[in-house]
Amino acid sequence: MGRTLSLTERGPATPGRHSDEVVIGISPAFGAFFSKTIVELPHAEVLRELLAGIEEQGMRARVIRYRSGSDLAVIAHTAARYSGSGIGVGVLSRGTTMIHQKQLLKLSNLELFPQAPLLDLETFRKVGRNAARYAKGESPEPVPARNDYMARPRWQAKAALLHIKETEFVTPRAEPVELEVAISLADAG
Amino acid sequence: MLVVGVDIGNSTTEACVAELGTGPAVYLGSALARTTGVKGTTENVHGAERAIRAALTEAGRGMDELATVLVNEATPVISGLAMETITETIITESTMIGHNPDTPGGAGLGVGTCVAFAELPGRVAGEEVVCVIGTGVDFEDAAAGINAATARGVVVTAAVVCADDANLIVNRLGRPVPVVDEVTLIERVPLGMRAAVEVAEPGRTIRTLSNSYGIATVFELDAERTRMIAPVARALVGNRSAVVVRTPAGDVTDRRIPAGSLTLHGERGRRTVGIAEGAEAVMATVRGIAPVIDAHGEPGTHAGGMISQVRDTMSELTASPVDEVRIRDVLAVDTFVPQRMTGGLAGEFALENAVALAAMVRTSQGPMALLAEELRRALGVEVRVGGVEADMAVLGALTTPGTDRPLAVLDLGGGSTDAALAAGQVHSVHLAGAGDLVTKLIDAELGLDDTELAEQLKQHPLAKAESFFQLRMEDGTVRFRDEPLPTECFARVVVLGEHGFLPVPTSHPVEKIRNVRRSAKHRVFVVNAVRALERIAPGGDLRGLGFVVVLGGSALDFEIPDMIAEALAPYGIVCGTGNVRASQGPRNAVATGLVTAHAARPAEAAR
Amino acid sequence: MRHSKRTEILEAKPVNLDGFVEEWPEVGMVAMDSPYDPEPGIRVEQGTVVEMDGKPRAEFDFIDQFIADHAIDADIAPEAMAHSAEHIAHLLIDATVSRRAVLGVVRGLTPAKLLAVVKTMNVVEMMMALQKMRARRTPSNQAHSTSARDNPVQIAADAAEAALRGFRELETTLGVVRYAPLAAIALQVGAQAARPGVLTQCALEEATELELGMRGITGYAETISVYGTEPVFCDGDDTPWSKAFLASAYASRGIKMRFTSGTGSEVQMGNAEGKSMLYLEIRCILVTKGAGVQGLQNGSISCIGVPGAVPAGIRAVLAENLIASTVDLECASGNDQSFSHSDMRRTARLLPQLLPGTDFVCSGYSGVPNYDNMFAGSNLDPEDYDDWNTIQRDLQVDGALRHVPEERILAARAHAARALQAVFAHLELPPVTDKEIEAVTYAHGSQELPLRDVLEDLKAAQSVLDRGITGLDIVKGLEAGGFTEVAESLLTVLRQRISGDLLHTSAILTPEMETLSAVNDANDYAGPGTGYRPSGQRWEEMKRLRHVVSASNPEEEVS
Repeated sequence: MGRTLSLTERGPATPGRHSDEVVIGISPAFGAFFSKTIVELPHAEVLRELLAGIEEQGMRARVIRYRSGSDLAVIAHTAARYSGSGIGVGVLSRGTTMIHQKQLLKLSNLELFPQAPLLDLETFRKVGRNAARYAKGESPEPVPARNDYMARPRWQAKAALLHIKETEFVTPRAEPVELEVAISLADAG
Repeated sequence: MLVVGVDIGNSTTEACVAELGTGPAVYLGSALARTTGVKGTTENVHGAERAIRAALTEAGRGMDELATVLVNEATPVISGLAMETITETIITESTMIGHNPDTPGGAGLGVGTCVAFAELPGRVAGEEVVCVIGTGVDFEDAAAGINAATARGVVVTAAVVCADDANLIVNRLGRPVPVVDEVTLIERVPLGMRAAVEVAEPGRTIRTLSNSYGIATVFELDAERTRMIAPVARALVGNRSAVVVRTPAGDVTDRRIPAGSLTLHGERGRRTVGIAEGAEAVMATVRGIAPVIDAHGEPGTHAGGMISQVRDTMSELTASPVDEVRIRDVLAVDTFVPQRMTGGLAGEFALENAVALAAMVRTSQGPMALLAEELRRALGVEVRVGGVEADMAVLGALTTPGTDRPLAVLDLGGGSTDAALAAGQVHSVHLAGAGDLVTKLIDAELGLDDTELAEQLKQHPLAKAESFFQLRMEDGTVRFRDEPLPTECFARVVVLGEHGFLPVPTSHPVEKIRNVRRSAKHRVFVVNAVRALERIAPGGDLRGLGFVVVLGGSALDFEIPDMIAEALAPYGIVCGTGNVRASQGPRNAVATGLVTAHAARPAEAAR
Repeated sequence: MRHSKRTEILEAKPVNLDGFVEEWPEVGMVAMDSPYDPEPGIRVEQGTVVEMDGKPRAEFDFIDQFIADHAIDADIAPEAMAHSAEHIAHLLIDATVSRRAVLGVVRGLTPAKLLAVVKTMNVVEMMMALQKMRARRTPSNQAHSTSARDNPVQIAADAAEAALRGFRELETTLGVVRYAPLAAIALQVGAQAARPGVLTQCALEEATELELGMRGITGYAETISVYGTEPVFCDGDDTPWSKAFLASAYASRGIKMRFTSGTGSEVQMGNAEGKSMLYLEIRCILVTKGAGVQGLQNGSISCIGVPGAVPAGIRAVLAENLIASTVDLECASGNDQSFSHSDMRRTARLLPQLLPGTDFVCSGYSGVPNYDNMFAGSNLDPEDYDDWNTIQRDLQVDGALRHVPEERILAARAHAARALQAVFAHLELPPVTDKEIEAVTYAHGSQELPLRDVLEDLKAAQSVLDRGITGLDIVKGLEAGGFTEVAESLLTVLRQRISGDLLHTSAILTPEMETLSAVNDANDYAGPGTGYRPSGQRWEEMKRLRHVVSASNPEEEVS
């Protein structure tokens, strides 16, 4: 029994005015051409946990799709720039995730989770939670990064392929779009 | 004639070069180096040589021009530190969950019988229940289950959740109720018992469960039972949320741990005091028999272990038997350490009481002759051991502009706090407890477990990074920056260290850290300053002191001298940080004093 | 679907934890056989390359330009390029054609031509060629000595054990970068304490790495990375010229150094410009050559998961080692990063370098358990020592290691830790306690060691830099502590930078402190019966293993 993700475009994304919001920026093929991360976590669950982490902290979330590139730093930074609180989360189809802040340089970040294969749903919940806590002006402990030296032989090439594939869905010069998110149980119809 | 004064201290060795002629000494250069080995041992030669060479270099003079090296009578002062908790909070049976999850849900008080989430469908209309939601229940399912029960007439008054889901659940309830979450050991919540769940609005604290009569009202307790539940209420004071479950034999105790006793020998006899009685009791005992001649810890206890460790180190250094080593001072400081409660259900922490102990050992048996001989061999220059350290410090301090006799010196070091008074004869004391103890207190009280960070927090002021370009300093002022802060500093409390900004990886707010820092400095330095001055003041009356000059490494601290000055203000004393030779600040006093003393003996110097 | 018992067993095999992907040549996800790689070709006018591999000079990127101007001998290029790829491949494997004669042709080849040559060869032919083309006659090996807690005592003891086991170069790096000076001192002291003449390096950000080298705290440098496409180069704010400048800074002080590159790095970063991994790596090899650097660490290195996942990827990795050797560079040939869950596959990936022999078979055999390896794990770690020694003995090939009886290893570990204790005491660094020495002597990894006072260590590490401590201060500390022989070894290593002998291609120091390089130990392989073959004392040494039944009195070993 899984959940399905339905993303409806609601026109061009606009900068938020509420200081209690966090914007999640998803990559061009997230929840579209791709529906799972590199370790087959459904995108519906990934997004649900990110949103839940934000909601539990009493903050609001908006989701936008970045379309003109597949560079995580750019996606996360754009989300941050559109966010009323200045905090954004970027997530790629393969699962790599980053928390960004609008005043930061693009190549910088607040927290980066580079090893997509090691990210589980619990981690995504914590990423959402930390993003919300940054937005509240708190100083959360960074989500612990896991490390495994055997991740390379297993995932390095697949990650490169997924990245290249995602890049094919880039629409040059396309503006980010606002998304309406509906996550429902598959068997609930 | 070119001379060098050398002061071998516990952590730094200072030197100053001066030309002596017919007039007053002309100072040419100063330098400091890290003390090598334990103060007063031949290992000090390397550090002394380094300081001397550096001072000569600054003076632009050569070793071959040097006539005499003057070294102080270095008395090894060794201090030891120990800290032990003396209370332990134990929850017998599952009585309360008083932890503070970041985000409890709902608000208000809910009372009912504990029912597992899976059992909800079996409850009947009208029953008042507190729903206990274990691991693996999704927040949507939890909310749906509670809504369904409510629809059937079951009165779900509150919920207790294992995951961090409280708001997620409350946001999906038709009728919001108080929910406490992140209860990690939820399986230990006793089902079928009556429970009360209270959540306060954000920014407020609970009112009912932190009040003994509140609990008595909720559970309809008689006076005897209310007495039993009182510790529970006390433990919940200040929380935003709490759960109390009424069990037949539950209790919370505040147990005192036997930490052993300390036997202090003084000139006026011998007294024994239990460490667990707290710092005040220990220090009252110390004062009662001061000056301390020796101290012993009860064998096989924390007190005994720490005292014997200091004793062993000292005996090794002086090559004298352990039973000849004498402990000359003890400083006890009350502190508190965050500790996990025994028997808690959510990994609750309690601030347990602890006592930190600094002990100091002193001997006049330092192998000074040997040290001087080694130094002579290393440099090829005459070396004189001259002058008691305290006398020299006073002489050096007197070069601070605006001072006069009677003058007291307060030397704030890493291991000990020393004081000396020049009024005719110089009278001096060495007391246990200084900078190292402050670091240890900060480390423990903030639960850092990182002495490097604690050291930084001790030495530098704090700020909160409000944005990448804006810092709110601990005094409330705002500083703007052109360059963005490093990302790891964002939204964090940072230390304004000498190498830039260091983020503090804890969730303590600026205020908390600042309070702990200042209070630790107060408990060690202010207490010791008063203690030391009382010991040297004529008749123990601080008003008899004219000038107090603060010296030593910790005198460079950004707030300690002010704190001491403030504490001494009522006594009408002029107190301030020394400025040796109007140029060296609180440094180089003893080295300067050595040269001054030497210059004052013209007949001898001319020989 | 119902699975057979056999499928279940196969599914559970470690090899199936490894990742494999199909080729995608359009984006560069292909090892060495891509229709999008350029065709070889060259046009030279008045001594200048005006067209290379189908691209006119006006369209050169900076890598093309650097190679055309500095790596290719324009005088002989037209003639060299006229040979067919097959012909050049024949020269490579023909034992009767000397190494020198091959170099005479290869100097004039373009990247696409070098690629065309190796494409005609299978792995056995490549191994035959590598056997002849590696620069130094005597093969050698390099180890990592790092610590998950950056514990200098561990780094020293494991350096000593590695040195004793035969490694001639040792490399360390840090978790907490500020620890570097202490780690570098520990590595140097540990190495010299066990066996004189081992060269050491500390992989760091380039400026600090250079400073430690100039001060004589380290003995050589390796982690200067070059890339095969312009955007990847630019991501690191670098150009071939800036790297060449850095190389000359090392040379100016007589310090040995080599570059680093490897297949897969460009496609990993999504900037392969549609070229095969090997073609881009050949560009890196020629940039190295053009920079005048004596050697290269290659063999995919940290990107090994990428070529490892595509068809013929490990063949391409062998080819990159071969080409580095073929253009007369010292080659430290990879086998230095965690590669596979399968022991069989780890070995198969190793044999193409181990069997023919390279200048350094591993550019980082982990001398510490992989959990302590701060280079993110190696293809081999201490748990593989006995397997390695057995393979050497079975096949009579020299992987430069040897079995050492435990009592000697324990003695060397303790000796190194004590020497470090003396140096730290002399330099007034935080003490190394007797308890630490005892623990490190018998430990496998950092988990068994007492914790050090990190605050004091970091302060001391900074003071090493502030006080201007150099290699000579370490020598003095060793001498003052009574470790005269260790002091002499280190002093001799430091003196090499004055003679400059270690700047020759493939230079190492023997335990007798002689330089062994492509100059005085040139590879003279010329077919069966020639070249380096383990014999005499060395072969006797290789015959020893942990457990070998005695032939003279086997009855005593029956229990």
